[in-house]
Amino acid sequence: MAFGREVYVIGVGMHRISGAPTPVRDMAYDAGLNALVDAGIEFDTIGALYNGYAMAGMTTGVTLAKDFGLTGVPITHVENASATGSSAFREAVLSVAGGHARCAMALGFDPSPGAMMSGGGGGMSAMSASFFRPSVEGVILPAAFFALWAVRRMHEAGTTVETYAKIAAKNWNHARRNPYAQRQADHQITVEEVLGSTMIAYPHTSMMAAAVGGGAACAIVADRELAEQVHDRTGHPLVQVVSSRSESERYTPGHIFMGAVVGPSELTRTTSRAAYEEAGIGPADLDLVHVHDAFPVEELLYYELLGICGAGEGDKLVAEGATEIGGRIPFSTDGGLIGRGHPVGPTGLAQIWDTTIQLRGEAGDRQVDGARNGLAHMMGAGSVCIVHILRRR
Amino acid sequence: MVERKLLEEGYFVMPDAAHRRPRLVGSYSAQADEHFFPRRKRCPITFGPVEDRLLSDEGVLYSWTWIENMRYGTMASAGEPHGVGQVDLPEGVRVQARLLGSKGDWEIGMPMVLDLLAVTTDQAGDELCTYAFRPKKEGD
Repeated sequence: MAFGREVYVIGVGMHRISGAPTPVRDMAYDAGLNALVDAGIEFDTIGALYNGYAMAGMTTGVTLAKDFGLTGVPITHVENASATGSSAFREAVLSVAGGHARCAMALGFDPSPGAMMSGGGGGMSAMSASFFRPSVEGVILPAAFFALWAVRRMHEAGTTVETYAKIAAKNWNHARRNPYAQRQADHQITVEEVLGSTMIAYPHTSMMAAAVGGGAACAIVADRELAEQVHDRTGHPLVQVVSSRSESERYTPGHIFMGAVVGPSELTRTTSRAAYEEAGIGPADLDLVHVHDAFPVEELLYYELLGICGAGEGDKLVAEGATEIGGRIPFSTDGGLIGRGHPVGPTGLAQIWDTTIQLRGEAGDRQVDGARNGLAHMMGAGSVCIVHILRRR
Repeated sequence: MVERKLLEEGYFVMPDAAHRRPRLVGSYSAQADEHFFPRRKRCPITFGPVEDRLLSDEGVLYSWTWIENMRYGTMASAGEPHGVGQVDLPEGVRVQARLLGSKGDWEIGMPMVLDLLAVTTDQAGDELCTYAFRPKKEGD
Protein backbone atom coordinates (compact mmCIF):
# COMPACT_ATOMS: atom_id res chain seq x y z
CA MET A 1 0.00 0.00 0.00
CA ALA A 2 1.23 3.45 -0.75
CA PHE A 3 0.27 5.75 2.10
CA GLY A 4 -1.28 8.78 0.43
CA ARG A 5 -1.44 10.37 3.89
CA GLU A 6 0.34 9.55 7.11
CA VAL A 7 -1.82 7.51 9.52
CA TYR A 8 -1.56 7.51 13.32
CA VAL A 9 -3.18 5.47 16.09
CA ILE A 10 -4.85 8.08 18.29
CA GLY A 11 -6.89 5.88 20.62
CA VAL A 12 -7.10 2.28 21.78
CA GLY A 13 -9.44 0.43 24.11
CA MET A 14 -10.13 -3.07 25.39
CA HIS A 15 -12.78 -5.10 27.12
CA ARG A 16 -11.26 -8.01 29.00
CA ILE A 17 -11.17 -11.31 27.14
CA SER A 18 -12.82 -14.08 29.14
CA GLY A 19 -15.16 -17.02 29.08
CA ALA A 20 -17.94 -14.96 30.64
CA PRO A 21 -21.24 -14.84 28.72
CA THR A 22 -21.17 -11.03 28.49
CA PRO A 23 -23.29 -9.74 25.57
CA VAL A 24 -21.20 -8.51 22.64
CA ARG A 25 -23.14 -5.23 22.72
CA ASP A 26 -21.77 -4.47 26.19
CA MET A 27 -18.21 -5.58 25.41
CA ALA A 28 -18.02 -3.67 22.12
CA TYR A 29 -19.44 -0.50 23.70
CA ASP A 30 -16.90 -0.75 26.53
CA ALA A 31 -13.90 -1.17 24.20
CA GLY A 32 -15.11 1.50 21.78
CA LEU A 33 -15.82 4.02 24.52
CA ASN A 34 -12.41 3.33 26.09
CA ALA A 35 -10.78 4.13 22.75
CA LEU A 36 -12.79 7.34 22.30
CA VAL A 37 -11.85 8.45 25.83
CA ASP A 38 -8.21 7.48 25.20
CA ALA A 39 -8.19 9.71 22.11
CA GLY A 40 -10.20 12.45 23.80
CA ILE A 41 -12.66 12.66 20.92
CA GLU A 42 -16.39 12.06 20.46
CA PHE A 43 -18.04 9.62 18.10
CA ASP A 44 -18.98 12.37 15.62
CA THR A 45 -15.27 12.69 14.77
CA ILE A 46 -15.27 9.13 13.41
CA GLY A 47 -15.56 9.22 9.62
CA ALA A 48 -15.66 5.47 9.00
CA LEU A 49 -16.37 2.48 11.23
CA TYR A 50 -15.15 -1.03 10.45
CA ASN A 51 -16.61 -3.76 12.65
CA GLY A 52 -14.64 -7.00 12.84
CA TYR A 53 -16.52 -10.07 14.02
CA ALA A 54 -16.76 -13.68 12.98
CA MET A 55 -19.26 -15.27 15.34
CA ALA A 56 -21.84 -12.56 15.98
CA GLY A 57 -24.89 -12.51 13.76
CA MET A 58 -25.79 -10.46 10.70
CA THR A 59 -26.33 -6.70 11.37
CA THR A 60 -24.74 -6.92 14.83
CA GLY A 61 -22.11 -4.30 14.01
CA VAL A 62 -24.53 -1.75 12.61
CA THR A 63 -26.97 -2.32 15.45
CA LEU A 64 -24.49 -1.89 18.27
CA ALA A 65 -22.98 1.22 16.67
CA LYS A 66 -26.23 2.97 17.59
CA ASP A 67 -25.06 2.87 21.19
CA PHE A 68 -22.28 5.32 20.27
CA GLY A 69 -24.60 7.71 18.46
CA LEU A 70 -26.43 8.26 15.19
CA THR A 71 -24.07 10.30 13.04
CA GLY A 72 -24.56 8.85 9.58
CA VAL A 73 -21.06 7.34 9.66
CA PRO A 74 -20.46 4.65 7.01
CA ILE A 75 -20.28 1.23 8.70
CA THR A 76 -18.76 -1.93 7.22
CA HIS A 77 -18.55 -5.49 8.53
CA VAL A 78 -15.16 -7.16 8.03
CA GLU A 79 -14.46 -10.89 8.49
CA ASN A 80 -11.23 -12.78 7.87
CA ALA A 81 -11.34 -15.59 10.46
CA SER A 82 -8.53 -15.15 13.01
CA ALA A 83 -7.31 -12.08 11.13
CA THR A 84 -10.70 -10.34 11.37
CA GLY A 85 -9.55 -7.64 13.79
CA SER A 86 -6.34 -7.05 11.82
CA SER A 87 -8.40 -6.72 8.64
CA ALA A 88 -10.78 -4.24 10.24
CA PHE A 89 -7.76 -2.22 11.40
CA ARG A 90 -6.26 -2.34 7.92
CA GLU A 91 -9.50 -1.07 6.38
CA ALA A 92 -9.53 1.82 8.84
CA VAL A 93 -5.90 2.61 8.01
CA LEU A 94 -6.60 2.47 4.27
CA SER A 95 -9.58 4.79 4.56
CA VAL A 96 -7.42 7.46 6.24
CA ALA A 97 -4.36 6.84 4.08
CA GLY A 98 -6.49 7.16 0.96
CA GLY A 99 -8.10 10.37 2.11
CA HIS A 100 -11.60 8.95 2.42
CA ALA A 101 -11.81 9.78 6.12
CA ARG A 102 -9.74 11.89 8.52
CA CYS A 103 -10.47 9.51 11.35
CA ALA A 104 -11.63 5.89 11.36
CA MET A 105 -12.49 3.33 14.02
CA ALA A 106 -11.82 -0.40 13.90
CA LEU A 107 -13.91 -2.28 16.46
CA GLY A 108 -13.47 -6.02 16.98
CA PHE A 109 -15.75 -8.13 19.12
CA ASP A 110 -16.99 -11.69 19.43
CA PRO A 111 -18.92 -13.62 22.06
CA SER A 112 -17.43 -16.32 24.26
CA PRO A 113 -18.25 -19.94 23.36
CA GLY A 114 -20.50 -20.02 26.43
CA ALA A 115 -22.47 -17.03 25.19
CA MET A 116 -22.77 -18.56 21.74
CA MET A 117 -24.10 -21.83 23.11
CA SER A 118 -26.71 -19.93 25.13
CA GLY A 119 -27.84 -18.01 22.07
CA GLY A 120 -26.03 -14.78 22.73
CA GLY A 121 -23.74 -15.01 19.78
CA GLY A 122 -26.12 -15.37 16.90
CA GLY A 123 -24.09 -17.46 14.54
CA MET A 124 -22.95 -20.46 16.52
CA SER A 125 -25.82 -22.82 15.78
CA ALA A 126 -25.26 -22.74 12.05
CA MET A 127 -21.51 -22.67 12.51
CA SER A 128 -21.39 -25.68 14.80
CA ALA A 129 -23.69 -27.70 12.58
CA SER A 130 -21.56 -27.16 9.48
CA PHE A 131 -18.27 -27.39 11.37
CA PHE A 132 -18.89 -30.84 12.77
CA ARG A 133 -21.01 -32.41 10.01
CA PRO A 134 -19.08 -35.27 8.36
CA SER A 135 -17.66 -34.06 5.06
CA VAL A 136 -14.74 -34.87 2.81
CA GLU A 137 -13.60 -31.25 2.94
CA GLY A 138 -13.88 -31.01 6.71
CA VAL A 139 -11.13 -28.93 8.25
CA ILE A 140 -9.50 -30.50 11.26
CA LEU A 141 -9.39 -28.42 14.41
CA PRO A 142 -6.47 -25.98 14.58
CA ALA A 143 -4.93 -27.94 17.46
CA ALA A 144 -4.42 -30.87 15.11
CA PHE A 145 -3.41 -28.85 12.06
CA PHE A 146 -0.65 -27.00 13.89
CA ALA A 147 0.36 -30.27 15.58
CA LEU A 148 1.25 -31.46 12.07
CA TRP A 149 3.55 -28.45 11.79
CA ALA A 150 5.00 -29.22 15.22
CA VAL A 151 5.75 -32.88 14.49
CA ARG A 152 7.35 -31.97 11.15
CA ARG A 153 9.48 -29.30 12.83
CA MET A 154 10.67 -31.85 15.41
CA HIS A 155 11.64 -34.15 12.54
CA GLU A 156 13.45 -31.48 10.51
CA ALA A 157 15.16 -29.38 13.18
CA GLY A 158 15.23 -31.57 16.29
CA THR A 159 12.91 -29.21 18.18
CA THR A 160 11.87 -30.67 21.52
CA VAL A 161 8.47 -30.70 23.18
CA GLU A 162 10.11 -28.77 26.02
CA THR A 163 10.84 -25.90 23.63
CA TYR A 164 7.15 -25.69 22.73
CA ALA A 165 6.28 -25.79 26.43
CA LYS A 166 8.76 -23.01 27.20
CA ILE A 167 7.17 -20.71 24.61
CA ALA A 168 3.71 -21.43 26.01
CA ALA A 169 4.87 -20.83 29.61
CA LYS A 170 6.42 -17.50 28.54
CA ASN A 171 3.13 -16.34 27.06
CA TRP A 172 1.11 -17.48 30.09
CA ASN A 173 3.50 -15.47 32.25
CA HIS A 174 3.35 -12.40 30.01
CA ALA A 175 -0.44 -12.57 30.35
CA ARG A 176 -0.13 -12.33 34.13
CA ARG A 177 0.96 -8.71 33.58
CA ASN A 178 -2.02 -7.89 31.32
CA PRO A 179 -5.27 -7.07 33.16
CA TYR A 180 -7.27 -7.71 29.96
CA ALA A 181 -5.85 -11.21 29.39
CA GLN A 182 -8.10 -14.25 29.59
CA ARG A 183 -5.55 -16.43 31.36
CA GLN A 184 -4.61 -14.89 34.70
CA ALA A 185 -2.48 -17.50 36.48
CA ASP A 186 -1.95 -16.85 40.18
CA HIS A 187 1.62 -18.12 40.02
CA GLN A 188 4.55 -18.30 37.62
CA ILE A 189 3.73 -21.02 35.08
CA THR A 190 6.43 -23.64 34.60
CA VAL A 191 7.41 -25.78 31.65
CA GLU A 192 6.48 -28.86 33.71
CA GLU A 193 2.94 -27.58 34.23
CA VAL A 194 2.49 -27.01 30.51
CA LEU A 195 3.80 -30.49 29.69
CA GLY A 196 1.60 -32.06 32.36
CA SER A 197 -1.67 -30.53 31.16
CA THR A 198 -4.23 -32.48 29.11
CA MET A 199 -2.92 -33.82 25.80
CA ILE A 200 -5.00 -32.50 22.90
CA ALA A 201 -3.13 -33.45 19.74
CA TYR A 202 0.45 -34.66 20.06
CA PRO A 203 2.62 -32.75 20.95
CA HIS A 204 0.12 -30.08 21.95
CA THR A 205 -1.29 -29.97 25.45
CA SER A 206 -4.20 -27.82 26.56
CA MET A 207 -1.88 -25.19 28.08
CA MET A 208 -0.15 -24.81 24.70
CA ALA A 209 -3.45 -24.00 22.98
CA ALA A 210 -4.83 -20.51 22.47
CA ALA A 211 -7.40 -19.49 25.04
CA VAL A 212 -10.76 -19.10 23.35
CA GLY A 213 -13.08 -16.57 24.95
CA GLY A 214 -15.13 -13.52 24.15
CA GLY A 215 -14.10 -9.89 24.28
CA ALA A 216 -13.69 -6.64 22.40
CA ALA A 217 -10.88 -4.35 21.28
CA CYS A 218 -10.83 -1.05 19.44
CA ALA A 219 -8.33 1.21 17.69
CA ILE A 220 -8.94 4.66 16.24
CA VAL A 221 -6.68 6.02 13.51
CA ALA A 222 -6.40 9.53 12.12
CA ASP A 223 -4.42 11.71 9.77
CA ARG A 224 -1.43 13.68 11.01
CA GLU A 225 -3.25 16.94 11.64
CA LEU A 226 -5.86 15.34 13.88
CA ALA A 227 -3.25 13.10 15.52
CA GLU A 228 -1.19 16.15 16.49
CA GLN A 229 -4.28 17.83 17.94
CA VAL A 230 -4.95 14.71 20.01
CA HIS A 231 -1.30 14.61 21.06
CA ASP A 232 -1.49 18.22 22.23
CA ARG A 233 -4.58 17.45 24.32
CA THR A 234 -3.68 14.02 25.73
CA GLY A 235 0.11 14.09 25.80
CA HIS A 236 0.25 10.60 24.26
CA PRO A 237 3.35 10.14 22.09
CA LEU A 238 2.48 9.94 18.39
CA VAL A 239 2.28 6.34 17.11
CA GLN A 240 2.38 6.08 13.33
CA VAL A 241 1.23 3.15 11.20
CA VAL A 242 4.23 2.86 8.86
CA SER A 243 3.14 -0.32 7.11
CA SER A 244 -0.03 -2.29 6.44
CA ARG A 245 0.31 -5.35 4.25
CA SER A 246 -2.01 -8.24 3.47
CA GLU A 247 -1.51 -11.28 1.27
CA SER A 248 -3.35 -14.48 0.46
CA GLU A 249 -1.79 -17.76 -0.66
CA ARG A 250 0.52 -18.26 -3.61
CA TYR A 251 1.06 -21.71 -5.05
CA THR A 252 3.92 -23.62 -3.46
CA PRO A 253 5.11 -27.18 -4.17
CA GLY A 254 3.04 -29.59 -2.10
CA HIS A 255 0.28 -27.01 -1.74
CA ILE A 256 -2.58 -28.26 0.42
CA PHE A 257 -5.87 -27.05 -1.03
CA MET A 258 -8.13 -29.07 1.24
CA GLY A 259 -8.26 -29.39 4.99
CA ALA A 260 -5.56 -26.85 5.81
CA VAL A 261 -6.35 -24.28 8.49
CA VAL A 262 -3.86 -21.85 7.01
CA GLY A 263 -1.74 -21.96 3.89
CA PRO A 264 2.00 -22.30 3.48
CA SER A 265 4.13 -20.77 6.22
CA GLU A 266 5.93 -18.95 3.39
CA LEU A 267 3.00 -16.52 3.44
CA THR A 268 4.42 -14.93 6.58
CA ARG A 269 7.81 -14.44 4.95
CA THR A 270 6.50 -12.68 1.84
CA THR A 271 4.01 -10.49 3.70
CA SER A 272 6.54 -9.37 6.31
CA ARG A 273 9.17 -8.64 3.67
CA ALA A 274 6.73 -6.34 1.92
CA ALA A 275 5.92 -4.71 5.26
CA TYR A 276 9.59 -4.11 6.09
CA GLU A 277 10.11 -2.55 2.66
CA GLU A 278 7.12 -0.28 3.08
CA ALA A 279 8.23 0.78 6.56
CA GLY A 280 11.84 1.26 5.48
CA ILE A 281 13.16 -0.88 8.32
CA GLY A 282 14.36 -4.44 8.82
CA PRO A 283 13.65 -7.06 11.48
CA ALA A 284 16.68 -5.92 13.49
CA ASP A 285 14.96 -2.57 14.05
CA LEU A 286 11.96 -4.12 15.83
CA ASP A 287 11.56 -3.79 19.59
CA LEU A 288 8.55 -6.08 20.07
CA VAL A 289 6.47 -8.45 17.97
CA HIS A 290 2.96 -9.91 18.11
CA VAL A 291 2.18 -13.04 16.09
CA HIS A 292 -0.60 -15.57 15.54
CA ASP A 293 0.69 -17.82 18.32
CA ALA A 294 -2.37 -20.07 18.50
CA PHE A 295 0.18 -22.80 19.28
CA PRO A 296 3.85 -22.44 20.21
CA VAL A 297 5.15 -24.04 17.01
CA GLU A 298 3.71 -21.04 15.17
CA GLU A 299 5.61 -18.52 17.27
CA LEU A 300 8.78 -20.60 16.83
CA LEU A 301 8.45 -20.69 13.05
CA TYR A 302 7.51 -17.01 12.84
CA TYR A 303 10.79 -16.04 14.58
CA GLU A 304 12.47 -17.36 11.45
CA LEU A 305 9.90 -16.41 8.82
CA LEU A 306 9.81 -12.81 10.09
CA GLY A 307 13.59 -12.71 9.80
CA ILE A 308 14.23 -12.27 13.52
CA CYS A 309 16.73 -15.14 13.27
CA GLY A 310 17.98 -17.51 10.61
CA ALA A 311 16.30 -20.74 9.51
CA GLY A 312 16.55 -23.37 12.23
CA GLU A 313 17.77 -20.86 14.84
CA GLY A 314 14.44 -20.25 16.58
CA ASP A 315 15.06 -22.91 19.22
CA LYS A 316 18.19 -21.07 20.28
CA LEU A 317 16.20 -17.86 20.78
CA VAL A 318 13.86 -19.73 23.10
CA ALA A 319 16.71 -21.32 25.04
CA GLU A 320 18.31 -17.89 25.55
CA GLY A 321 15.04 -16.27 26.66
CA ALA A 322 15.45 -13.70 23.88
CA THR A 323 11.70 -13.47 23.23
CA GLU A 324 10.70 -12.84 26.85
CA ILE A 325 10.00 -9.33 28.13
CA GLY A 326 13.50 -8.12 29.03
CA GLY A 327 15.01 -10.23 26.26
CA ARG A 328 16.48 -9.08 22.96
CA ILE A 329 13.19 -9.13 21.02
CA PRO A 330 10.08 -9.82 23.12
CA PHE A 331 7.21 -11.68 21.43
CA SER A 332 3.56 -11.74 22.53
CA THR A 333 4.12 -9.17 25.25
CA ASP A 334 0.47 -9.15 26.33
CA GLY A 335 0.34 -12.95 26.49
CA GLY A 336 -0.45 -13.54 22.83
CA LEU A 337 -3.21 -15.86 21.70
CA ILE A 338 -2.08 -18.43 24.25
CA GLY A 339 -2.23 -16.13 27.27
CA ARG A 340 -4.20 -13.00 26.39
CA GLY A 341 -6.62 -15.16 24.42
CA HIS A 342 -8.01 -15.49 20.93
CA PRO A 343 -11.61 -14.26 20.77
CA VAL A 344 -11.26 -13.98 16.95
CA GLY A 345 -12.80 -10.61 16.08
CA PRO A 346 -10.87 -8.63 18.70
CA THR A 347 -7.59 -10.55 18.51
CA GLY A 348 -5.72 -8.48 15.91
CA LEU A 349 -6.93 -5.27 17.53
CA ALA A 350 -5.73 -6.47 20.93
CA GLN A 351 -2.30 -6.72 19.30
CA ILE A 352 -2.63 -3.11 18.10
CA TRP A 353 -3.75 -2.06 21.60
CA ASP A 354 -0.68 -3.58 23.24
CA THR A 355 1.72 -2.40 20.55
CA THR A 356 0.39 1.16 20.82
CA ILE A 357 0.68 1.43 24.58
CA GLN A 358 4.10 -0.25 24.46
CA LEU A 359 5.30 2.39 21.97
CA ARG A 360 3.78 5.13 24.13
CA GLY A 361 5.68 3.75 27.14
CA GLU A 362 2.43 3.12 29.03
CA ALA A 363 2.56 -0.68 29.39
CA GLY A 364 3.41 -0.74 33.08
CA ASP A 365 5.21 -3.81 34.38
CA ARG A 366 5.26 -5.48 30.96
CA GLN A 367 6.82 -2.41 29.29
CA VAL A 368 9.55 -3.08 26.74
CA ASP A 369 12.21 -0.49 27.52
CA GLY A 370 12.66 2.14 24.83
CA ALA A 371 10.25 0.49 22.40
CA ARG A 372 10.13 2.42 19.11
CA ASN A 373 9.07 -0.10 16.44
CA GLY A 374 6.47 -2.85 16.89
CA LEU A 375 5.16 -5.46 14.45
CA ALA A 376 1.76 -7.17 14.60
CA HIS A 377 1.22 -10.33 12.52
CA MET A 378 -1.93 -12.39 12.11
CA MET A 379 -2.95 -15.38 10.05
CA GLY A 380 -6.57 -15.93 9.10
CA ALA A 381 -7.90 -19.34 8.15
CA GLY A 382 -8.52 -19.79 4.51
CA SER A 383 -5.93 -18.20 4.40
CA VAL A 384 -4.59 -14.66 4.68
CA CYS A 385 -1.63 -13.04 6.41
CA ILE A 386 -1.71 -9.46 7.67
CA VAL A 387 1.27 -7.50 9.00
CA HIS A 388 1.27 -4.01 10.50
CA ILE A 389 4.29 -2.07 11.68
CA LEU A 390 3.81 0.80 14.12
CA ARG A 391 6.43 3.37 15.08
CA ARG A 392 6.68 5.96 17.84
CA ARG A 393 7.55 9.34 16.30
CA MET B 1 -25.86 -56.52 3.06
CA VAL B 2 -24.28 -53.21 4.03
CA GLU B 3 -22.92 -51.30 1.06
CA ARG B 4 -20.05 -48.86 1.10
CA LYS B 5 -20.85 -45.55 -0.61
CA LEU B 6 -19.05 -42.26 -1.24
CA LEU B 7 -19.66 -39.70 1.50
CA GLU B 8 -19.51 -37.06 -1.25
CA GLU B 9 -19.10 -37.32 -5.02
CA GLY B 10 -16.15 -35.88 -6.87
CA TYR B 11 -13.23 -36.44 -4.52
CA PHE B 12 -12.38 -40.10 -4.97
CA VAL B 13 -13.60 -43.28 -6.63
CA MET B 14 -14.36 -46.55 -4.93
CA PRO B 15 -12.23 -49.68 -5.42
CA ASP B 16 -13.36 -51.80 -8.36
CA ALA B 17 -12.40 -55.02 -10.08
CA ALA B 18 -9.29 -53.46 -11.59
CA HIS B 19 -8.17 -51.42 -8.57
CA ARG B 20 -8.44 -52.78 -5.03
CA ARG B 21 -7.91 -49.39 -3.42
CA PRO B 22 -9.85 -46.13 -3.70
CA ARG B 23 -8.20 -43.43 -5.80
CA LEU B 24 -8.32 -39.68 -5.44
CA VAL B 25 -9.61 -37.57 -8.31
CA GLY B 26 -7.39 -34.56 -8.95
CA SER B 27 -6.72 -32.08 -11.72
CA TYR B 28 -3.81 -31.84 -14.14
CA SER B 29 -2.64 -28.64 -15.79
CA ALA B 30 -0.67 -29.37 -18.96
CA GLN B 31 0.50 -25.76 -19.14
CA ALA B 32 1.99 -25.85 -15.63
CA ASP B 33 2.71 -29.60 -15.67
CA GLU B 34 1.29 -29.75 -12.15
CA HIS B 35 -1.32 -31.90 -10.41
CA PHE B 36 -3.75 -30.60 -7.80
CA PHE B 37 -6.16 -32.11 -5.29
CA PRO B 38 -9.05 -31.76 -4.97
CA ARG B 39 -10.17 -30.87 -8.49
CA ARG B 40 -9.68 -27.27 -9.57
CA LYS B 41 -11.94 -25.31 -11.88
CA ARG B 42 -8.84 -24.07 -13.70
CA CYS B 43 -5.09 -24.00 -13.20
CA PRO B 44 -4.27 -21.77 -10.20
CA ILE B 45 -0.85 -21.01 -11.70
CA THR B 46 -1.49 -20.36 -15.41
CA PHE B 47 -5.30 -19.87 -15.28
CA GLY B 48 -5.43 -22.35 -18.16
CA PRO B 49 -7.64 -25.45 -18.44
CA VAL B 50 -7.25 -28.54 -16.28
CA GLU B 51 -8.38 -32.10 -16.81
CA ASP B 52 -9.43 -34.76 -14.30
CA ARG B 53 -6.78 -37.30 -13.33
CA LEU B 54 -6.88 -40.29 -10.99
CA LEU B 55 -3.95 -39.89 -8.62
CA SER B 56 -1.60 -42.50 -7.18
CA ASP B 57 -2.96 -44.58 -4.32
CA GLU B 58 0.41 -44.61 -2.54
CA GLY B 59 2.56 -41.88 -1.04
CA VAL B 60 5.00 -40.92 1.70
CA LEU B 61 4.01 -39.61 5.15
CA TYR B 62 5.01 -35.94 5.53
CA SER B 63 3.64 -35.39 9.04
CA TRP B 64 1.18 -36.88 11.51
CA THR B 65 -0.54 -36.26 14.82
CA TRP B 66 -2.72 -38.22 17.21
CA ILE B 67 -5.78 -36.32 18.38
CA GLU B 68 -6.52 -37.33 21.97
CA ASN B 69 -9.12 -34.71 22.84
CA MET B 70 -10.88 -33.02 19.97
CA ARG B 71 -11.07 -29.55 21.45
CA TYR B 72 -9.88 -26.06 20.80
CA GLY B 73 -10.36 -23.90 23.83
CA THR B 74 -13.76 -24.97 25.08
CA MET B 75 -14.97 -25.93 21.60
CA ALA B 76 -15.00 -29.68 21.23
CA SER B 77 -16.25 -32.20 18.73
CA ALA B 78 -17.50 -35.67 19.41
CA GLY B 79 -15.55 -38.74 18.42
CA GLU B 80 -12.86 -41.16 19.42
CA PRO B 81 -9.13 -40.37 19.41
CA HIS B 82 -7.72 -40.71 15.92
CA GLY B 83 -4.77 -39.92 13.68
CA VAL B 84 -4.46 -37.21 11.04
CA GLY B 85 -1.61 -36.77 8.62
CA GLN B 86 -0.28 -35.26 5.43
CA VAL B 87 0.87 -37.57 2.65
CA ASP B 88 2.96 -36.63 -0.38
CA LEU B 89 1.86 -38.37 -3.60
CA PRO B 90 4.32 -38.98 -6.46
CA GLU B 91 2.48 -36.37 -8.56
CA GLY B 92 3.67 -33.64 -6.16
CA VAL B 93 0.34 -33.37 -4.39
CA ARG B 94 0.21 -33.20 -0.58
CA VAL B 95 -3.03 -34.61 0.84
CA GLN B 96 -4.29 -34.05 4.37
CA ALA B 97 -6.40 -36.93 5.60
CA ARG B 98 -7.37 -39.22 8.44
CA LEU B 99 -4.80 -41.92 9.24
CA LEU B 100 -5.81 -45.48 10.04
CA GLY B 101 -4.01 -47.13 12.93
CA SER B 102 -3.00 -46.06 16.41
CA LYS B 103 -0.56 -43.67 18.01
CA GLY B 104 2.93 -45.06 17.45
CA ASP B 105 2.07 -46.64 14.09
CA TRP B 106 3.40 -43.77 12.01
CA GLU B 107 6.81 -42.33 11.18
CA ILE B 108 7.60 -39.44 8.87
CA GLY B 109 8.90 -40.78 5.55
CA MET B 110 7.13 -44.14 5.72
CA PRO B 111 5.17 -45.43 2.70
CA MET B 112 1.40 -45.08 2.98
CA VAL B 113 -1.49 -46.42 0.94
CA LEU B 114 -5.01 -45.13 0.41
CA ASP B 115 -7.92 -46.91 2.09
CA LEU B 116 -11.54 -46.29 3.03
CA LEU B 117 -12.93 -45.03 6.32
CA ALA B 118 -16.63 -45.26 7.15
CA VAL B 119 -17.68 -42.06 8.89
CA THR B 120 -21.45 -42.41 9.10
CA THR B 121 -24.41 -44.32 7.69
CA ASP B 122 -27.30 -43.26 5.50
CA GLN B 123 -31.00 -43.94 6.05
CA ALA B 124 -30.69 -47.36 4.39
CA GLY B 125 -27.97 -48.31 6.87
CA ASP B 126 -25.23 -48.26 4.27
CA GLU B 127 -21.79 -46.95 5.19
CA LEU B 128 -20.79 -43.53 3.88
CA CYS B 129 -17.03 -43.49 3.41
CA THR B 130 -14.28 -40.99 3.01
CA TYR B 131 -10.67 -41.78 2.15
CA ALA B 132 -7.86 -42.32 4.64
CA PHE B 133 -4.24 -43.41 4.56
CA ARG B 134 -2.60 -46.31 6.40
CA PRO B 135 0.97 -47.62 6.53
CA LYS B 136 1.83 -49.85 3.59
CA LYS B 137 2.10 -53.48 4.63
CA GLU B 138 3.89 -56.41 3.09
CA GLY B 139 1.69 -57.75 0.33
CA ASP B 140 -0.02 -54.42 -0.33
